[in-house]
Amino acid sequence: MGNVQIKGVTKSYGGVRVMHGVDVEIEDGEFVVLVGPSGCGKSTLLRMIAGLEEISGGQISIGGRVVNDIPPKERDIAMVFQSYALYPHKTVAENMGFPLLMAKRPKAEIAEKVNRAAEILDLTKYLDRYPKQLSGGQRQRVAMGRAIVRDPQVFLFDEPLSNLDAKLRVTMRVEIKELHQRLKTTTVYVTHDQIEAMTMANKIVVMRDGRVEQIGRPLDLYDRPVNLFVAGFIGSPAMNFLQGKVATRDGRQVVLTDQGIALPLDGVQVEDGRAVTYGIRPEHITIGEGGIPVDVSVFEPTGSETLIFGRVGGVPIDALVRERIEEEPGKTMSFRLDPRKAHVFDQVTGQRL
Amino acid sequence: MQSKKLGWLLLSPTLFILGLFGIFPFIYVLWVSFHEWNPFAANPEKLFNWAANYRKLVFDAQFLASLGVTLAFVFFAVVSEVVIGYILAQAFMKDFPGKAFFRTIHTLPLIMAPIIVGSIWKLMTTPSIGIIPHLLKNFGIDLNIGQSAIAAFCITVIMDIWHWTPLVTLSLIAALVSLPADPFEQAQIDGANKRQIFWHITLPMIRPALIATVFIRLMDAMRTVDEVLMLTGGGPGSATRYVGVHIYKEVFPKTNYGYGSAISVIVLYLTIVICWLLYTSLIAPRNKRG
Repeated sequence: MGNVQIKGVTKSYGGVRVMHGVDVEIEDGEFVVLVGPSGCGKSTLLRMIAGLEEISGGQISIGGRVVNDIPPKERDIAMVFQSYALYPHKTVAENMGFPLLMAKRPKAEIAEKVNRAAEILDLTKYLDRYPKQLSGGQRQRVAMGRAIVRDPQVFLFDEPLSNLDAKLRVTMRVEIKELHQRLKTTTVYVTHDQIEAMTMANKIVVMRDGRVEQIGRPLDLYDRPVNLFVAGFIGSPAMNFLQGKVATRDGRQVVLTDQGIALPLDGVQVEDGRAVTYGIRPEHITIGEGGIPVDVSVFEPTGSETLIFGRVGGVPIDALVRERIEEEPGKTMSFRLDPRKAHVFDQVTGQRL
Repeated sequence: MQSKKLGWLLLSPTLFILGLFGIFPFIYVLWVSFHEWNPFAANPEKLFNWAANYRKLVFDAQFLASLGVTLAFVFFAVVSEVVIGYILAQAFMKDFPGKAFFRTIHTLPLIMAPIIVGSIWKLMTTPSIGIIPHLLKNFGIDLNIGQSAIAAFCITVIMDIWHWTPLVTLSLIAALVSLPADPFEQAQIDGANKRQIFWHITLPMIRPALIATVFIRLMDAMRTVDEVLMLTGGGPGSATRYVGVHIYKEVFPKTNYGYGSAISVIVLYLTIVICWLLYTSLIAPRNKRG
């Protein structure tokens, strides 16, 4: 049973507390992504699961066994580092077989398991090579191979794709996901890239400053972020935020900006006069009559869609539209905001309303 | 063409110094080694005598004995220095109070001239006044390096260890500091214990630095002269008459310049052979791996 329970875990360095009571439940076979900006504590949390960092408070259990005081090698985990951490003086086969060699498995068994992992990862040709003779993607796969030969309860990935180029990252993302679907081993994956988080996870844990901001399925986080931080962090391009007060116009609730621009709302129960932050994702904006006036400064055509950068009342607002725009920058366009897709947050607390 | 000329111009001071102090003396020694030359004898002329010096060398029991003790000296000294140096380097990788102070203190022997090191050790080991015989007396050991060949040999080895271990420590600290942390954490997760991490990860990863250090120490120890000359004068008998000391005694007191040069050339050759053997057995196979 590869479930992982993290209960009230804290971490302090000297007198400085950097993690403030983190609770995460990870079910057996789940693919959980810890995501957040640098310094949010996601890597520290992963290293605490691995046993590379001490746990200052709280409790971590793996497969129902509390592991706080158990050394890494007895936790039945495998980890893939950002740097891959391959042993430079060992061949691919020796690298992948190392955990089994340490476990004193018979030679034949090691060879068999290494060969099977190499087949899964398409590394059979490279078994006699040294890490420096491999490309970044191949090294990445060797690191994964070393993890899967052990058949551990939990895989831990620490930003494994950060050192790869953009194209390879997408390929490897798919490979890791396929591997997970095939092996069904519980996986905890750390990244700062929210696209990776969205595309790979069964469950995302958004962290900031040593606290969990929100835990949920990727699309739940996208559709219903609990606060401004999650709203701004999940989704690319990022959500637009405009400040205003709730008011009623023509029998409908709107958010009225200081410039008197009415931003449409639908299905949100907020009393009039409340100061709020109005959030709308760029992909929920269309170009058309009856919208809000936006001074457009830059068009970014990507072929499949066009990203439009503009300002409304001095505040930046972006739109992502399917159509190709043949306009000159510098003019005013009408942005139609989809009221059903609008998010409203309390201006003071940043919490969703 | 212009840039090529400029290149040679810029290189010329280095080439000049290298030629004057390195290449020329070497060729001169090589040339002298084929001569009978005793400048203070009745006939101070250099007499070309083909390979007579080298022929003499092969049957010179004193030289062969000296070579034997030198190899023993080099072996014990260098192996101990590497082992102790590694242990110290690992100790200095950890944090403890007064670390910077101890690290500084421990490198002090390195900056001492060998002749001073020899003098200090002579003072410390002289039976009537030295602290080492005094302390050993408590254990019923009567240390007299003027009488006991084995004691004299051991003390020269210990002196060399005391003098040169810091060099090994420093270069191994440099090697350890530059190692990435990830493979070591990975090894912990992979289930390796401390001993396995040392043999499987640390040692192979610091191997280049370790081998370079061994080479430097080996070449240095092969030509130890002044410390030993000061401490034991090569004695008792010829117990510590290492080749350096032997050459010194041939060339200066006996003024056998030609023969002394021949010994130097042979010792250089032997040093190169030992390094070559080490290289082919330790480094070359690794390079082949790519």
